[in-house]
Amino acid sequence: MLKHTIMATATAVALAMAAPASAETLRFAGTTPALTMDPHATNDFVTTAIFRQVYDSVVGLSLDMELVPSIATSWEYLGDNTWRFHIREGVTFHDGTPLTAEDVAFSIMRQKDSRFYTSLFGDVAEATAVDDQTVDVVSNNPDPILPRKMSRMFVMSRAWLEANDSLEIPDLGAEGAEGFTVRNANGTGPMALTEHDPSVRTSFVRNEDYWGDFPGNVDEAVYSPIGSGPTRVAALLSGEVQLIIDLPLQDVERLENTDGFHVEQEPQLLFMQLEMDGTRDVALDTWTNDGEPITDNPFRDVRVRQAIAHAVDADLIVDRVMRGDARVVGIPSVPGFGGYQADLDQPWGYDADAARALLAEAGYPDGFITQLNCPLERYVNTEEICRAVAGMLDRVGIEVRVNGMVWPEFARMLVNGPTSSFHLIGNGANSFDSQDTFTATMMTRDADANEGFFNWALYSNETVDQVSRELPVTFDEARREELYRMGMEAARDTISAVYLHQPMITWGMQDTVEAPIRGDATLTLQNVTIGE
Amino acid sequence: MLSILVQRSLHAVLVILVVSVLAFLLTSLVGDPVASILGIQATPEDRAILAERLRLDEPWVVRYLSFLGGAIQGEFGISYSAQRPVGDLLLERIPATMELAFSALILSLAIGIPLGVFAAVYRDSWVSSALMVGSIVGVSLPTFVVGILLIFLFSVHLGWLPSFGRGETVDIGWWSTGLLTWSGLKALIMPALSLAISQVALIARLVRAEMLEVLQTDYVRFARARGLAPRKINLSHALRNTLIPIITVSGIQLGFLVAFAIVAEAVFQWPGLGLLFLQALGNTDLPVIAAFLMLAAFFFSAINIVVDMLYAVADPRLRVKVALGST
Repeated sequence: MLKHTIMATATAVALAMAAPASAETLRFAGTTPALTMDPHATNDFVTTAIFRQVYDSVVGLSLDMELVPSIATSWEYLGDNTWRFHIREGVTFHDGTPLTAEDVAFSIMRQKDSRFYTSLFGDVAEATAVDDQTVDVVSNNPDPILPRKMSRMFVMSRAWLEANDSLEIPDLGAEGAEGFTVRNANGTGPMALTEHDPSVRTSFVRNEDYWGDFPGNVDEAVYSPIGSGPTRVAALLSGEVQLIIDLPLQDVERLENTDGFHVEQEPQLLFMQLEMDGTRDVALDTWTNDGEPITDNPFRDVRVRQAIAHAVDADLIVDRVMRGDARVVGIPSVPGFGGYQADLDQPWGYDADAARALLAEAGYPDGFITQLNCPLERYVNTEEICRAVAGMLDRVGIEVRVNGMVWPEFARMLVNGPTSSFHLIGNGANSFDSQDTFTATMMTRDADANEGFFNWALYSNETVDQVSRELPVTFDEARREELYRMGMEAARDTISAVYLHQPMITWGMQDTVEAPIRGDATLTLQNVTIGE
Repeated sequence: MLSILVQRSLHAVLVILVVSVLAFLLTSLVGDPVASILGIQATPEDRAILAERLRLDEPWVVRYLSFLGGAIQGEFGISYSAQRPVGDLLLERIPATMELAFSALILSLAIGIPLGVFAAVYRDSWVSSALMVGSIVGVSLPTFVVGILLIFLFSVHLGWLPSFGRGETVDIGWWSTGLLTWSGLKALIMPALSLAISQVALIARLVRAEMLEVLQTDYVRFARARGLAPRKINLSHALRNTLIPIITVSGIQLGFLVAFAIVAEAVFQWPGLGLLFLQALGNTDLPVIAAFLMLAAFFFSAINIVVDMLYAVADPRLRVKVALGST
């Protein structure tokens, strides 16, 4: 008989014994389990937030999502599609072995070999260790935002992987046994992994030899997934956990009014938007007022797009549907993204009369009937948002039939089509730079050229296309700013989509716990303090 | 006896085969596994490579046959999301669900039978009327509502029981049990209770109805005439004869308990098969979904066979009927 709780790696035991007797343990819970501890095997964001405690990325992220030195202390562009990263000295893995430039180069190549996530890292061709402290990364095309992408590139120990027969990523669809790296980890991060049982819990112990700042006082931490919202809240209220990630909105007020607890919020790096068909000659699932299939595409007319933008009251949705836990958005970018322009971020404003006038001018004085495809999960309160939108558009004459779809079905409709002329979706950016928003979600869609692949509603605008082509090859900061502004103005004027709001990341915690929220919804354990 | 077993087993194999086809077809309708694995923000090349790797480009008949071939050898492939062999995942989750379902079954019998007997014997008392009304409430309360109520009473207000998880477990071979530790037992109480409550009502009503019938029969009247103690009549004469249908119902109930365990597992974050299945549905994790459905079909078939056998043992008339019918 063997108790699960005393199972731990030799490293962890050694580290645990080094910890002081009055150890502060943080027990926290989130929605879904960490799927794997192999940082190169998944892009699931909950899982990434968890293994970020153990593994450091090449380039770090501050609490404001700014790029900061991490494993790389500095970086510069050498020209010829080559970025040079200078590697920090004196960093050791949790097993005590020193980190070398070789490990960094190897990790970049290992991730690249997965072939699953080129969307995250672009087309890196080669990463080589020039000397002990320098790594050169060469991409197939110029890539001005490569350092930002490196904030999601995690460094593993080559020797450790080799010793455990895991040089390659545990493969999907392969037969055979479980990969070693699924449950075991050896990083350089602020916390070391002691136990990872994917279905039940993930436990950490403080890395006493951490190279960076560790302002908090957490010595041990245990993460438990609790899928059911009410149960998660109950676990917090009963003291079984001290912090919960993803507090259901309906419980925010209640928790704030409960002694001994407080709620922390931070805008998520994602904004909700209504996408409208920008290209098709005949809109899908759209009818005239008599219920006859429509013979044109009203969404292609910029006046109709403007009418919808004015008819949808984003403030009201934030107030009522989101209970104030969201921020209204006026451009296709949010604070924290590279290229965000604060002064341009002006919502269109609700104006039903203007909307009616615009519709009449566009030749739809009596409106039309259309279907709004609405993903039922993944984002917060989507069904309520869609219903609110339907009600608001009804007031200006557009009858909206909400078509709720479970996420897998919705995703399939987009990636295998896309076959939707009007839908609600969340828009983020893989690398947290608005450049991605342009090239991936707003550029005229050409799937074969990999342009605008996530432009699901086929929006098309010449200025935006020009910006999307020029940004990825422009290294000059001033010119980049100019391009961002140009593109965002054009997108806003032609209503690339009706931007709604940025939902809040909402955490609940005991009053004794202080935990800053980072925009990527990561709980950085080194910054958590537990008081008396 | 043997012929019944063979016949029933053939039925079971047929059922499992049909379910396997349905499961396989269903999984191709749930969503796009490639989109689920890579997220919708993946490049077309990545998607094509992965689709090929997962052999999604082949016709479903080919994939089905290779799936079936693997399943016969106990190989269900690798979970898309957990990247671990599906067989391991299921095996690791089975003990949690089984302990939960059996605890709930025992609980529902232990509470339901005495209640039913009481209600039958004292059927004119106001207590038994109240019990029967209460049982309607019990049947109609959804498991998740009961679960949340229990959590708020026993975890949040009283602080007696944990609101989630399975507590500490002990491994006996591959079976991990929560029954041998104090925290494991404490964690079991609320999930088992919330699962048992609707079944208690069902059992109680069934026992009551059967008892009332049996109490009218001649041999009970004769036993009364012989002057036997009412307690002895009720418990050893009447109750024993009501137990035969209870056995059947319990078997079917066990199936329901495993199925409804999904709800209780979701509420209490109980790391069993149901929770695994729910997560797999959300991630379009096809190998896990298919394997779970196969396992469920196998489980229901096995229960049916066992129940049939028990029935045959308990009631000789049935044995004759089946034997005649099969020749």
